[in-house]
Order: sequence, then structure tokens, then C-alpha cells
Amino acid sequence: MALEDIPLLGCGRHIDQLWATLHQPPTTHEQQCEQCKMARTSLQRLSEATRSLREQDLNDPALKPRPGITNAIMDVARAEIRRSKRIILGSTEEGTTEISEQALSALIRLAATAIPGVHSRRCHIEVRSSDPSPAGEDPRSRGTADAGPHLIINLRVAAAAGIDIPRTVQTLRQEISSAIPAGAGIRAEIINITVEDLYDV
Amino acid sequence: MSDQPLQGQVITSQLIASLAARTALETPGVLRLEPTIHGLLARLGPAALNNLRNPGSQNGTYRHDGVTATISDGTTHVHLDIATDITYAALNVAETVRERVRENIRHTALTPGPVDISILAIEHHHGTTHA
Amino acid sequence: MNDHSLEPDLDEGSVVARAQDGDLSAFEHLVNTYQGRLFRLAYRMLKDRGDAEDIVQETLTISWRRLPMLTDVNAFGGWIYRLATNKCLDLLRKRSSHAADITDPEDIHAASETESLRPPAGIDPAHEAEWSAEQEGLTAVLDTLPPMQRACWLLREMHDRSYTEIGATLKMSPTAVRGTLARARHHIAEGMSQWR
Repeated sequence: MALEDIPLLGCGRHIDQLWATLHQPPTTHEQQCEQCKMARTSLQRLSEATRSLREQDLNDPALKPRPGITNAIMDVARAEIRRSKRIILGSTEEGTTEISEQALSALIRLAATAIPGVHSRRCHIEVRSSDPSPAGEDPRSRGTADAGPHLIINLRVAAAAGIDIPRTVQTLRQEISSAIPAGAGIRAEIINITVEDLYDV
Repeated sequence: MSDQPLQGQVITSQLIASLAARTALETPGVLRLEPTIHGLLARLGPAALNNLRNPGSQNGTYRHDGVTATISDGTTHVHLDIATDITYAALNVAETVRERVRENIRHTALTPGPVDISILAIEHHHGTTHA
Repeated sequence: MNDHSLEPDLDEGSVVARAQDGDLSAFEHLVNTYQGRLFRLAYRMLKDRGDAEDIVQETLTISWRRLPMLTDVNAFGGWIYRLATNKCLDLLRKRSSHAADITDPEDIHAASETESLRPPAGIDPAHEAEWSAEQEGLTAVLDTLPPMQRACWLLREMHDRSYTEIGATLKMSPTAVRGTLARARHHIAEGMSQWR
């Protein structure tokens, strides 16, 4: 159907075919056929003009949006920032302490930058208190020796193509499990790391 | 409801808020109070006008960037939104802030009630380089 | 503010994933990466700086709101181009319903003689001298193409988007994209030779 839509030259050739072989020497037919010769010349001019327009637009300072546009967009993003989940770390009558999931994610991402070959992606964190289980708590979590709450971290990462994934993931896990107590003062009980993608280096 | 001096002494919610803010900022490991959109809206909204006309009162709430203080029947309730230095354990920092704020409130002759703390960011201190 | 900078070699999928989690510096990185590209597309579609800037701003703002719904982080580029292209096409439809329409593709040569045959306004004068006759002809004829052909040509030739992606944007099969592209090239090549 679409092929019928492609403009035909009088000699029966598709413009598309000429375009695809533009940078190859003309075939015997194309050397002899006046229509093909003309079409090739005009398509070659188009190809050259396309290339230089592309180059020029890319470097033309006038073809950039006004500088304030980033701020305008970021102002909206900031104003509409998704309210990050808050994780309650402890609550007594002297007050409640909570931490935003975003603060913990940033800590985890920062830790991950120390490990070559992985890029951290989405991060979800849950908290498990070591008190006798509140409603909905997995009963298996009871009886942990450590006092205070601890975290369950679900981190997704992209790994550099060609690295030793198990070893890198293990190093990353160690890095996170020391960064969380150091920066947040909480224990990271479970660190689930999912390699969801590979990136080229 | 009223600014009428009682027993010759007025402790306003604004005073408690600034006391709590100052105490928090003086605690090692606290980088800053973290303004939130909620606080911003509160500042721009009708409450902001109230705050201008009446900078806190004996019964009432005062909000500023990262700090909210309420006094109710002689007992305070404080909420702080903080950013902490990554070289300190945030949970311990929060605990220290709470103790110090409650201690300082005790000096005002009001009863220290809950001090709620939200840790909204954990970052390198400005000027230190990233790992 | 969270002003921790991103790792220099960060792959785009990871930047997108972090922005989905609400990381503002990751989102700002995407804004900086795409605003110029989207502006060049919108400007060549609409020939109006103000309109093009509006498209860039609206597209990127909407992308922040809809980002959590994007299932494949590696598809961000195609997705954002699709949003912007369709906004341009909507605006052109709105414009043409207001103005007398020149929809007949055969009118293009007539139109090309009266329409702007000069480089875009606001261009640096020193630059203008370098503006070759070929490019002038190309942009002049480009402006006379039907919007779908123009979008198709720009996405492929100026922005390197794939046939599949262009098809998804313009709601046509990859084969139909190929046909539309060939017609666009044919019109431009012919227009350029007549224009000279």
C-alpha cells in the first residue's frame, strides 16, 4: 500500500530506491536514464542541504529556547514535587522521628557512585520495626536480636556491559550496608539489588 | 487566643519556634532546616497574614521554614524538618536535637511536649567533596 | 536543595529512572538534554519562536507529571518527541482552522514564492551571510509541506528518530512512514530546483 504512495519516476523507478543508493555509483540504467540522472542530481542536492542544515541548526545560537525556560520548568517540578514517602524510625511521647525515602535513596545512590560499573536507578525502602509485629507485619521478622528499626531496601540498577555482575552486586551491597548506618544511624537488614538493564561503556 | 500577659510573662509560639530552630542549628550534624512546600504554602496563605499581624501567641501555632511550634495549655509541640551531614548518623542527630530542644523549653517554664523530627535530606557538608 | 550532581557517565535510562523517583537533579538533566532538540523541532514545525518555546515548556512540564507512568526508561527519548510532535501538529491544526488553509500539496510551489524565503528572523547577521542558497531553498520548501510530511521529514532527517518511533508518533505503520518520507523528499527536491 505504502509503496504505491512512493513517487515513481517516468521510468518506473521509486524515488526511495534512488535515495537509498545515492552514495553509490549510478547503475547502468541510472547513467543512461535522463529522469534518473535529473532525480539523482536533485536528491544529491537535497542530501547535501539536509546535512548542512542539520549541522547549522545544531550550532545556531538563535535556535535555542530562551535561557529562562529551564527555571520555568524546574519551578513547576519543584512546586509539584511528589511528596516522598516518610519512614517512621521511632515514636515515643517525647516525639516522632521520621526520614524521607528520598533522603535514604540519595544516601544509597551516593554510596553506589563509589562502585564502578553500576548506575543506581529506582529505589524503594520499607522499614521493619523489631517490636512485636504491628498489624500487617510479616511474622517471620520477629525475634531479631538488634534493637531499633531496620530497613528493607529494594534497589534497581543498570550494570556496565561486561562486568562481573555477582561480584559487583556484592560489593555494592556491602557499600550500602555500611553507608546506611553511618549516614542514617539505622541498620539495613535486607538489601535487594535487581540488575534491570545493561549500559554500554 | 490572647496575648494578654499572664504572671508577667509571655512565651509565644514564635519564641518557641525560634528557640527550637536555633537549638537545632547549633547541634552538630544539622546542616539546615529544610523548607518544604507545605511550609511555603502556609507562609503564603492566610496563616502568613496571621503570623504578620500576630507573631505567635500563647495558644496557637507558628510556622517558619522547617519549624512549627504550637503551645496548647502550657505544653509545647514542636516539629522540625532538618537536613543532616552525611558524616553523622541522622537518627542520632535527631535524638540529640530532641533532647536539647526539650531541655531548652524546660527553661522557659513551659512543659516540653513532643518534638517531632523529619529528616528530609542527608548530604555532604557544603565544601566537602563527594566520595 | 538537593544539588548533588549526577555521575558524568550516567546512562539515560538511569537518569530517567531517578527522575521517576522524584529526583530533581536527574529531571533537570533531562530538561537540559532535550530542550534544545525539542525547540529545533518545534521551531521548524511552527516557524515561531514563542510558540516553539511554549511547546518545549509544556512538553517537559507534562513529562514530569507523567514520568511515573513511563514503563520503559529507555523509551524516554521517543516518548518526549512524541509528546512534542503531537503538540505541534495540534497547534498547526488550530492555526489552520483559524486561517484560510493551503492544504493542497500542489500549491506548494506557488506558496513558496510568497512565503518567507529568508532565513528565520532573529538570526545573527554575520550568520546570515553564511546561510547558503541551498539551505534557504530547503527551509522555504519545507515550510510548504503538509504538517505530517514535515514532521516525518524533520524527525527522520534532523533528529534521527527510527521509523518505528515516527510511526508510533504519527499513528502510521513504519511502511507508511517510509512512503511519507519519500514523498516529502520528492516534494522538497522538486521545490528546491524550481525555487532556484
